[in-house]
Amino acid sequence: MLRASLLRARPIAPAAGLQWRVANRFFADSKKPDETLLPGSQSAKTNIEIPSPTLSTSSTNASSVSASTIAASEVPKTPPTPQEVRSAPVVQPATTPPTGTGSASVAPPPSAPKPKRRRFRRFLLQLLVLSALGYAGGVWYSLVSDNFHDFFTEYIPFGEDAVGFFEEREYRKRFPGQNVQQRLHPQLSGEQKVTIPGRHGLTSRVADEGEASGSNLGATGPHVSALESDKTKKPDSSGETPKATSTAPPALAEKPTDSLTHNLLPKDAVKDTKEATPAPAPASSTPAKMIDNLDIPSAKEPVVQDVVKILNDLITVINADSAASKYSSAIDKAKSELGKVISDITTLKESEQKAAEDKIRSAHLEFDTAAKELVRRLEAQMHEQESHWKDEFETERETLAQTYKHKLDSELEAAKKVYEQRVKNELLEQSIALQKSFSSSVRDRVESERDGRLSKLNELSSSVQELEKLTWEWNSVIDANLKTQHLVVAVEAVKAKLANAETPRPFVNELAALKEIASDDPVVSAAIASINPAAYQRGVATPAHLIDRFRRVSAEVRKAALLPEDAGIASHLASLAMSKFLFKKSGLAVGGDVEAVLARTEVLLEEGDLDGAAREMNGLDGWAKVLSRDWLGEVRRVLEVRQALDVISTEARLNSLLVD
Amino acid sequence: MSESTPTAPVARTTRPVSESLLNEKWDRCLSSMLIRSGLGLSFGIVFSVLLFKRRAWPATVGLGFGAGRAWEECDSSFKHAAAPSKDGLRVLRP
Repeated sequence: MLRASLLRARPIAPAAGLQWRVANRFFADSKKPDETLLPGSQSAKTNIEIPSPTLSTSSTNASSVSASTIAASEVPKTPPTPQEVRSAPVVQPATTPPTGTGSASVAPPPSAPKPKRRRFRRFLLQLLVLSALGYAGGVWYSLVSDNFHDFFTEYIPFGEDAVGFFEEREYRKRFPGQNVQQRLHPQLSGEQKVTIPGRHGLTSRVADEGEASGSNLGATGPHVSALESDKTKKPDSSGETPKATSTAPPALAEKPTDSLTHNLLPKDAVKDTKEATPAPAPASSTPAKMIDNLDIPSAKEPVVQDVVKILNDLITVINADSAASKYSSAIDKAKSELGKVISDITTLKESEQKAAEDKIRSAHLEFDTAAKELVRRLEAQMHEQESHWKDEFETERETLAQTYKHKLDSELEAAKKVYEQRVKNELLEQSIALQKSFSSSVRDRVESERDGRLSKLNELSSSVQELEKLTWEWNSVIDANLKTQHLVVAVEAVKAKLANAETPRPFVNELAALKEIASDDPVVSAAIASINPAAYQRGVATPAHLIDRFRRVSAEVRKAALLPEDAGIASHLASLAMSKFLFKKSGLAVGGDVEAVLARTEVLLEEGDLDGAAREMNGLDGWAKVLSRDWLGEVRRVLEVRQALDVISTEARLNSLLVD
Repeated sequence: MSESTPTAPVARTTRPVSESLLNEKWDRCLSSMLIRSGLGLSFGIVFSVLLFKRRAWPATVGLGFGAGRAWEECDSSFKHAAAPSKDGLRVLRP
C-alpha cells in the first residue's frame, strides 16, 4: 500500500523534495520487476497487497492523469512537503473513488443488456450446433460400432430412425437392384407394430367388478342370481328407462355363461314368473295421459326383455310425440298381450321343470341300480381274489415243505459221507503206522547185525587215525628240530663272524638271517631288538682293539686324575704337571682313586673280563669319566651283542630241549 | 684297516673322540692366547707410538689385556666342559 500510495503521489509533486524521493525511489525500483508484472503472471515474491492495483492502478492512472492535469496548474503555486505528499494519497482515495468507481460501474450497464441477449442467443445457437454435431457424430459412430449402435438406438430419441435411414441408404448404394423394404425389420421402420395393451396379460389382483358384471364368480354372496341385480336396479329403472335397458345387456351376457342345467333349474323361472306377473299391473294402471314405460324387471327371459325394450322404445317415442291418447289402447293391448306371453312362458317353464324333475328321479333310480350292480361286482371280485390267494398260499406251502425235505435229505447224505470218509482215513492211518513199525523193526534187526561187523572196522580206522596223528606230531617235532638247528647255525655264524673279525665289520646280513629264521620267536626278536643298531651297522670292536684303545684312554685319564671339581685352567695346568710325577699302580690295586681303578681295569681286560672292566671304568667320575665315555660305549656295545647272542643260543637250546 | 678308514673320518668330523676332548681344549686355549695377546700387544704398540711417545708400558698393558682375556675364556671353557652339558634341558628354579 505504501508503494502504491507513493506511486500515486509521485506525479503530484515531482519537483518538490526530489532528493529525498530519489532515495525513496531506489528502494521501490529495486522491487520494480515484481510490480511491472501483469496481475495474472505474478511471481510468488510479490506481496498480497500489490494485486489490488488492478482496480486501483486503473483508477489511480485515471486519477493520476486527472491529478497531473490538476498538478500542472497547481505545482507552481504550492510545492507540497514530503509530509503532504505522504498524506496526499490517504486523502485522495476519499475524493477520487466516486469518479473511479463511477467510470467502472456506470459504463457497463448500457452495454450489458445487448451481450446478454446475444449471449443467450449465442448459447442457444452453440447448444443447437453442438447437439446437432453430437447427434451426427452419434449416428456416424453407431454406424461404425455395434455396441454404440445399440445404445444410441435405445436411448436417444429418433436415433433409431436416423440410424435406420442411413443404413438403408448405404444398403441401397451397395445393392441398388434389390428390394430394400424387406431387409429392414418392419419394427424398425415403424410399421406393423404390435401394441400390447396395458391391461393385457395376467395380473395379481382379483377380477374387477366391472368385469365381474359378466360373471360375478369372484364376488361374495349368491352367484348369478337375478334377485340381487333386481334389487339394485329397481330404484334406477323407476327413474329412467334407458337405465333399465342398460341392465338388460348384462343379463344377456350372463346367460351364455350359465350351463344348460342351470337354465333347467326351476328357481329362476319360478321367480321370473312370480315377479313378472305383478309388474304389468302398475304399468297398466297408469296410462292416463303419458303412457308409462313398461317395467318388468323380473323378466329374465332374453326374448321377453327384448320385447319389453322394444315396447319401452315405442312408448318413449309415443310420449315424445305426445300422442299417448291415440296409441294408449294399442299400447295397453300390447301390454296385455305381453303379459299373456309372459304367463305362457311361465307355464311352459313349469312344464319343463316337471319334466326335468322326472328326469332327475329316473336318473336317481338308474344311479341306485348302477351302484348296487357295482357293489355286487366288487364282492364277486373279492371272493375271487380270496380264493385265488388261498390257492396260491397252499401251493407255496407245499413247495416250501418240499424244498425243506430236499435240504434235509441232502444234509443227511453229506453227513453220512463225511463219517464214512473219516472211518476210511482212520483205517489208512492205522495201516501206515503198522507198516512203519514193521520197517523200523526190520531196520533195527539189520542194524544190530551190521554193527557187530562195522564196529571192528571203526576200530581199525580210529587206530589208523591215531597213527596219522602220531606221524604228524613227529613231523612237527622234526620241523622244530630243524628250526632250532637253523637257529643254532645262524647264531654260530654270527659268533664266528664276530670272533674272526680283526677289525670291526658290520654283521647285518647274519643278523637278518637269524631274525628270518626265528621270526616267530619273541625271545629272539627281543634279543635282536636290544642290540644297538650302530653295533651291527658298523661292527663291534675286537677285544684286542679294545685293549689298545684303553691304553690310550688311560694315558689321557691319568692326566686329568688330579683335577678337582669345577676346575679352571690353572688347576688343569697343575694336574697336567703333577700327573707326570704319579706312581703307576699295577695288578688288582685297592682303593677308589683313578690310578687304582685304571690298574684294576687293565688287569680285568687282560683277563678278558670285559664286563668287569666296564664296571670298573663306570665307577670313575668327573673329567676321567668324560674322557673314557667313548671307550665305555664301545665296550657296552660289544657286551650287548654278546649277551644277545648268548640269549639266542640259550633259546635255541631250550627249543631243542622243549621239543620232546 | 681299509674298511675302518671310511668310518673313522665320519666319527672324527661329527664328534671328537672323548679322550681327545681335553687336548682339543688345550689347543684352542693356546691359539686364542697367542692371538689375543698378539692383538693386545699390537694395539699397545700402536697406542704407544701414537699417543705415548713410544713408551714401553702401553705395549705391555695391551699384551696383558689380550693375555688376560684369553685366560679368562679358557678358564670358563674348562669349567663349563667338566659339568655335563645342560643343553636342551629345562632348568627348574625354586
